[in-house]
Amino acid sequence: MRVLLVEDEVRLAENLAAALRDAAGFAVDWAADGEEGDAFARNSVYDLVILDLMLPKLDGLGVLKRLRARKDATPVLILTAKEGKAAIIELLNAGADDYLAKPFDLGELIARAKALIRRGKGAAHPMLTAVNVEVNTLEQTVHRAGSLVDLSPTEYRILEYLMHHPRKVVSKRELLEHLYDYNWEHHSNVIEAHVSNLRKKLDAAESDAAPVIETLRGRGYRLATLPEPGRDE
Amino acid sequence: MTSNLSRSITWRLIAAVLAVEFAAAVLVIVLSWGYERHTHFRAFDVMLHGRADSVLGAVQDAEDTEDNVMLDKADLRLPQEDIYEVYDERGRLLGRSPNWQGLGEGFAATTKDGFVRKIVNGRHYRLLRMHGSRIVDPGEPGGGKLRHVAVLYGAPTERVWGAIWHAVAVYAGGSLLLLLVSGPLVAWVLHRGLAPLRDLAALAGNVSANAWEFEPPETARTTRELAPLTHALESVLERLECAFVQQRTFVSDAAHELKTAVAVVKSSLQLLGLRTRTPAEYQAGLDRCLADTARLEDLVAKMLTLARVESATTATSTPAACDAVRCLEETMREMETVAALRQVRVDKTAPEHASVPLTAEDCQLVVSNLLLNALQHSPTGAQVQLNLSVMHDAVEMRVADHGEGIDPTVQAQVFDRFFRGDHSRSRATGGAGLGLAICKAVVEKAGGSIALASTPGQGTIVTVRLPRA
Repeated sequence: MRVLLVEDEVRLAENLAAALRDAAGFAVDWAADGEEGDAFARNSVYDLVILDLMLPKLDGLGVLKRLRARKDATPVLILTAKEGKAAIIELLNAGADDYLAKPFDLGELIARAKALIRRGKGAAHPMLTAVNVEVNTLEQTVHRAGSLVDLSPTEYRILEYLMHHPRKVVSKRELLEHLYDYNWEHHSNVIEAHVSNLRKKLDAAESDAAPVIETLRGRGYRLATLPEPGRDE
Repeated sequence: MTSNLSRSITWRLIAAVLAVEFAAAVLVIVLSWGYERHTHFRAFDVMLHGRADSVLGAVQDAEDTEDNVMLDKADLRLPQEDIYEVYDERGRLLGRSPNWQGLGEGFAATTKDGFVRKIVNGRHYRLLRMHGSRIVDPGEPGGGKLRHVAVLYGAPTERVWGAIWHAVAVYAGGSLLLLLVSGPLVAWVLHRGLAPLRDLAALAGNVSANAWEFEPPETARTTRELAPLTHALESVLERLECAFVQQRTFVSDAAHELKTAVAVVKSSLQLLGLRTRTPAEYQAGLDRCLADTARLEDLVAKMLTLARVESATTATSTPAACDAVRCLEETMREMETVAALRQVRVDKTAPEHASVPLTAEDCQLVVSNLLLNALQHSPTGAQVQLNLSVMHDAVEMRVADHGEGIDPTVQAQVFDRFFRGDHSRSRATGGAGLGLAICKAVVEKAGGSIALASTPGQGTIVTVRLPRA
């Protein structure tokens, strides 16, 4: 998952980015002012935007309004130090999905970020299930048919992304965009290697089972669907 | 109305009007008394003359050998209470009214004509003395004999005085009635006349820190006596609202800054606790936390400094004074390491002494803030010029850097609290955006001025002017 963090306070941004990367395994891009944040958000590659309200050049509300004016449905979490309910009501009415008042708890921020991403993908519970694979997004653990599958952070992130988009063909480019921030080199063969490893680990967990991840040559990857009971023969 | 208050314009005006009316009434009574007395007594005197004349007419030839005269009372028709006496030229009494003992012998001969006041039988009388003459036997050869007589005639004055007092009582009664009527009438007129003032007060009473709307009634605006008050109220409220908004903005900004600073410290600590780390990682994290705390400390210290400077606007007991040159040199020494680190040279031109009305602490606060700003905005290898000059009534200090300058659109805001020219950069260097605000507060408290001129790409010059101490 890739998060855009728009925050002008350098130290706070550093801490938030570190926490989101470390504890949630997100790719984080950081913008230091409203205009930069708006420019980043135009790429439409983010699964969540964390937006400070008081920003230089363009304030958080302005960024939010531009985002929503572009019909961008990316979940937005607002960080605010403002007092009073009126500001919060205005923010939520302008299209924000949630807010946190400064000084906030890092754990709460991460939980809310995860919940917003989950909701944004249409999942209500932190436990994702497809075929016989279970992904616990809180503990970042994966089980297949009851046995634990040990994945690297990148492999986990690829799987989680695919689990969030069942039946959808996800291109390598999309995976790159959503799993890495701008600080990473973009090489699609890196993705290929990770997907290959991921598939091996998943298939090793249950012998002679159908592969969980399908490769559609030239198009991307797709989570295998459960064979429907009636057409099993 | 406002009768429970000790001073009321209405009551004072009513009292003034009544006092004037009372004085006028007294004057009317005194004048009318004098006038009535004069006219009534004139008429009375004319009447006395007439009656004395009729007494004189009753003096007749006695038909005796000495050609004497006598008083014939038979034809006299006079009021019963009147008194009279008639003497002849030898002082002999010719006749007298029956109700009187007379003034006595010799009176007629010695006194001249005129009026006399007497109390007769317990009553006040006004007496007329009049000389007259009679010709005895005018038919005889030689034209008869001329006989002189003196008539003394008096009538009681009670009725005259009664008429006078009656007239005066009418005037007095009228005045009293006017007083009684005009009191409430003036009160009513004043009450109506002061209605615009009450309207204004009611509207002004509605103004509070949360509701600044003040639209004075048209009557208050167009009433000549109220227009200055209305105008003053409007401008005072406007200034107050402005100050309130500024204060509220400051509190909100301060809260934002403090919360953000606390959020940084908190997140640094929580980040450290997210997972188990190596001792080296913990050490590095603790160092960062300490640095974050230092920033919070600096922010709090600056806010307190600003609060101290701004709250102490009321004049201190002893006017402060210090030598700006000494202060400048000391600050330059303190900043030497910063300047060396940024490889910026600081040039100074200053006279021997320049006394300014600041405490040494405040002076250093201003100089160090300005110098630090200049150093932070100077590129490597650049120069910062410090220039102190003494004019005939002021001390001028200029701090010039050759940095990136300030965008003209935001130059007006640089003295605002929490304003940062370059947001992220200033935050990164630890500035809270209070330095220039503190300088401005210190300088203005001392009766000086501070101004900033900047050309983007060329540099910034801050000029401080202080009165000489």
